[in-house]
Amino acid sequence: MAEMNEKSYSRLERRRTVGASLISILIGLVTGSLLILIVGLTTKNIGLSGAWEGIRLVFGGLFSTGRDMATGVLTFGFNPNTFGNMLFRSTPLILTGLAVAVAFRTGLFNIGAPGQYLMGICVALLISLSIPSSQVSPVIIWFLAFLGGMLAGGLWGAISGALKAFLNINEVIACIMTNWIAANLVTLIFSGSNLRNLTENTKSAYIYKTSVNNVATAKLGLDKIFSDSQVNGGILIAILLAILISVLLNRTVFGFELRATGSNRYAARYAGIVDKRSIVLSMVIAGAMAGAAGALYGLSGNTEFYWSTYQSLPGVGFNGIPVALLASNSPIAVIFTGMFMAMLDISGQQLKNLTGYNEYLTNIIISVIVYLSAFSLVIRNFLVKHDDGVSRALSSLGNSLRGNKRKGAGK
Amino acid sequence: MEDYVIEMLHISKSFPGIKANDDITLQLRRGEIHALLGENGAGKSTLMSILFGLYQPDEGVIKKDGKEVRISDPNDATALHIGMVHQHFKLIDVFTVLDNIILGAEDVKLGFVQKKEARRKVRALSEKYGLNVDLDAKVEDISVGMQQRVEILKMLYRDNEVLIFDEPTAVLTPQEITELMQIMRNFTREGKSILFISHKLNEIMEVSDRVTVLQKGRYVGTVNTAETTKEELSRMMVGRPVQLVVQKEEARPGKPVLEVSHLSVMSKLYHREAVKDVSFTVREGEIVCIAGIDGNGQTELVHALTGLERADAGTVTLCGQEITAAPIRKRSKAGMSHIPEDRHKHGLVLDFSLEQNLALQRYYEPRFQQNGFIRFDEVRSYAEQLIRQYDVRSGQGPITRARSMSGGNQQKAIVARELDRDLPLVVAVQPTRGLDVGAIEYIHGQLVAQRDQGKAILLVSLELEEVMNLSDRILVIHSGEIVGEFDPKAVTVEELGLYMAGARKQEAKANG
Repeated sequence: MAEMNEKSYSRLERRRTVGASLISILIGLVTGSLLILIVGLTTKNIGLSGAWEGIRLVFGGLFSTGRDMATGVLTFGFNPNTFGNMLFRSTPLILTGLAVAVAFRTGLFNIGAPGQYLMGICVALLISLSIPSSQVSPVIIWFLAFLGGMLAGGLWGAISGALKAFLNINEVIACIMTNWIAANLVTLIFSGSNLRNLTENTKSAYIYKTSVNNVATAKLGLDKIFSDSQVNGGILIAILLAILISVLLNRTVFGFELRATGSNRYAARYAGIVDKRSIVLSMVIAGAMAGAAGALYGLSGNTEFYWSTYQSLPGVGFNGIPVALLASNSPIAVIFTGMFMAMLDISGQQLKNLTGYNEYLTNIIISVIVYLSAFSLVIRNFLVKHDDGVSRALSSLGNSLRGNKRKGAGK
Repeated sequence: MEDYVIEMLHISKSFPGIKANDDITLQLRRGEIHALLGENGAGKSTLMSILFGLYQPDEGVIKKDGKEVRISDPNDATALHIGMVHQHFKLIDVFTVLDNIILGAEDVKLGFVQKKEARRKVRALSEKYGLNVDLDAKVEDISVGMQQRVEILKMLYRDNEVLIFDEPTAVLTPQEITELMQIMRNFTREGKSILFISHKLNEIMEVSDRVTVLQKGRYVGTVNTAETTKEELSRMMVGRPVQLVVQKEEARPGKPVLEVSHLSVMSKLYHREAVKDVSFTVREGEIVCIAGIDGNGQTELVHALTGLERADAGTVTLCGQEITAAPIRKRSKAGMSHIPEDRHKHGLVLDFSLEQNLALQRYYEPRFQQNGFIRFDEVRSYAEQLIRQYDVRSGQGPITRARSMSGGNQQKAIVARELDRDLPLVVAVQPTRGLDVGAIEYIHGQLVAQRDQGKAILLVSLELEEVMNLSDRILVIHSGEIVGEFDPKAVTVEELGLYMAGARKQEAKANG
């Protein structure tokens, strides 16, 4: 009896957390729809019917298959291209989301994912372009480059972690510094190198695609399922890493130490956990995730990486924050929230391609969702109140049905 | 008809999920000291908050001088001349004593505060009641006892005639407590009436005229102090007979377990020696207590012993193994368990479940892991065993968040975790702080049981009653030094108080 209560209680907890995120998403989408309606009604050539199309695309852009040639009506169904591109775009989001979530679970705000991501790209490109595939198998080069990128990201995270652990420097400040150091360092490394492709004069120069050296992430048959899309095996790696991180955090002794340090550094220290080590290692793992995101980006085979990164930081690093927030820092949930964010991206493109709307509308939806996910605790508390009311009503109903037989049995 | 200055009649107040006050009646006679007694969570604070205007009662009426009144906020209470000294003082540290007293009731002319008149009035009050304060000292520089006198003067300055004292003795030395009692009697001679909230039975017996007892939000009764006993009061408060004096046999000390020699610790905050050249030994089968007023180096001493802070000089030996600079895990494995002073900061990971907290010191042991993976079934069954054995109560059993548990049960969980490790040394720092009589009785019993099994117990306590009750040997600490060693059967509370206040010092130091 007691056991059943415990189980249903933890299920209730999980349901509330998921519920809070779903409510944030729904409110975001509804707000976006209202915006579309307002923009539509105030724009001459869109109108109410155009707004209705826009709203349908916001909710179902992933399943949009274009317009019927004859009638001009929007058509929906399975679209391998949008699906594949969604998976491709979600890969780095899932990984940077993990980079933020892992650190959060250890009590750290890893805003350094952009820098770790850049270091991952940089090292992955250096390795994959410097080892000639005529002498070493491209598969081995790919693995070296991927692991090198992860390692570089991990080391970059370790800097912020060590500053926090040993000198008590706020990790947010340390991360911002390492972000810009990475941005400038990457520019410095590539600007003198012969890895730059300067021959295609029609567009700005970029680092050679890794496919030049026959190195690219394997498609693993995904391109057959999702034809015409950019998808590759990276998404499977991201999902695998999310599962590994989840197991590591929730099931292992090491994860227990990380979470204890994250929840209460002092209590962890009291219990004999070396909190400094936990903090550094957590940032190493977080950095490695962002590094993996960068490596997979660089190794897609089609990436034209523009090396003058000192001017701005890559947005995908920061987008890990909303992905992690929306997932309540659960590594498994990050898979879905990462995909959801990528889906909104696709919806934005569909809006632009198929209607008169601007694709940046979806950014507003994302912002609303991010705002609300920060409020998820408030929403959760609301659900708790609500739940109590509901369960009280149900139990009193049950009691009266059973003639108060079990009244006070709980005591 | 009786002359009641305050009557709270049939007061009820509910919060979501709990009825904090259920039909409580409290009548305060003019010129009496009326004690309000009850365990934690009995509803004392709620009732006083209603009287002070912080909460509105759901039912019931409040009468002042026989007339029904509405008190919707503390300003109304002040207008009715009801004043309160809170348990945690509400003073501004960087203001002078005088500024603190007049704050909120300043006499202002053309935008300037008129302090001359205020100073004269405060001085007159302090002389009249023997409340010695330095009006121009900053609050941060004066003793806790003087801070309390400042709080009392605040009430007097506002011409309050009903004075509420919320656990006023918790922070005072025995001498200061005696002084406070005298001051309270002076007030009643002047016709002021006092409500005195406490769960310390000795003080209630000594100073009050009548006692109202609450239990779990309900009114148990009001008795004349002269016609009751401590045993009777505690039975009313807890609902069952309570063992007030710890029952224990004579200690039979064995081999030394913890040996501390010439230990010094620098305070990280103030760049001074917080612990100075301290030496002592704790043997098997004895409870050694470090007594002292808060802030005299106890925290630093315990941190150095348990590894939370580094010692700067001296050695610490546990079961023959030197651990002066050892990491915490090594000390723990060498045989030290630690009930920490601050249960929220060190004792618990509040957002972890109860079962995870119970496994916090042992999760890495072979029993609880397999190839680096936690064995959740073992953690669960271990937690269930401890919960049963130590009667830890919580909403959802092993998976309850520690944060949602009551303070008493949080402490019970820590005690269960630490004592169940069955290690030769138990360092217990204020193990009963903030707990009610029932829980204190339980924890004291557990510590004595550990001692009787041959464990060495180092107890650090600020409560003299606990010190006298529980220990086999008392070491008094004052500004970082051990100033005396006593046998609890051969020393009085007053004598200990003199040592704690630094007025006396034994020449021959504790055995080193």
